[in-house]
Amino acid sequence: MNPSVGDELPELVKHPTTRQLVQYAGAQGDFYEIHYDQDFARSVGLPGVILHGLLKASFLGQLLTDWLGVRGTLKRLEVSYRGVDQPGRPYRCRGRVTKVEGPHVELEVWGEDPDGNRTTVGSAVVEIK
Amino acid sequence: MAITSVIDRLRARIGSAAPPITATVEAGHLKRFAEAIGDNNPRWLEEAPPTFLVALAPPSMHLAEAEEYGKGWLNGGNRFEYVEPVKVGDRITATGRVADVYEKTGSSGSLLFIIFETEYVNQHGRTVARLRGTGIRR
Repeated sequence: MNPSVGDELPELVKHPTTRQLVQYAGAQGDFYEIHYDQDFARSVGLPGVILHGLLKASFLGQLLTDWLGVRGTLKRLEVSYRGVDQPGRPYRCRGRVTKVEGPHVELEVWGEDPDGNRTTVGSAVVEIK
Repeated sequence: MAITSVIDRLRARIGSAAPPITATVEAGHLKRFAEAIGDNNPRWLEEAPPTFLVALAPPSMHLAEAEEYGKGWLNGGNRFEYVEPVKVGDRITATGRVADVYEKTGSSGSLLFIIFETEYVNQHGRTVARLRGTGIRR
């Protein structure tokens, strides 16, 4: 079925843990201490360790590729990190189709904390086969 | 003034490319990356998921000299553009450069923005993806 403007993507809820942040730090090779050292994170004014922005981008990437499957190709993913997120709190990833022009489809995507704050906002372009 | 000179030194690097980094996409690395992001789609055993390229070569240089400004880094945003899929065994060369450096002063103080751009080219000489990232010192 072809996407239409206004279509909502099936929501993806992630449950990040401190363990996952350490796993991600290793897999990405980003060892900045704000992602696993509570004392360091607080020393730079954060409430505690926080999720990597790029981990949140990965969640939104999964939201898109789960929805798209083999129907098409992801051409662009752009995200802005507007707030910090801490492990132990579920992260809801959502999206909506904003434009359809033949095979060219644009979407807005975002990640929400449990209080409903959109701490990551972005857009994507996909091409339907 | 010290802070001004940090910005001047960083601005002098705008446009200049860092030494390219070449790495092969390994099956074990893809698997570990997919596990770390919690995406168990079997497709990612063979193909790079959307953000994998940042794990192959650093997406942004945490420029040591920028650390004279503020007390910590934040990631402001990322933009990935995909040209063709990246598969296990591909040999990718990443070339990064500083695209822009500027300071913004808001209600909560001053922030330094550093815009990084990275181009990823495969073993056939074709661009497979581009990444733009915003590093913030605060």
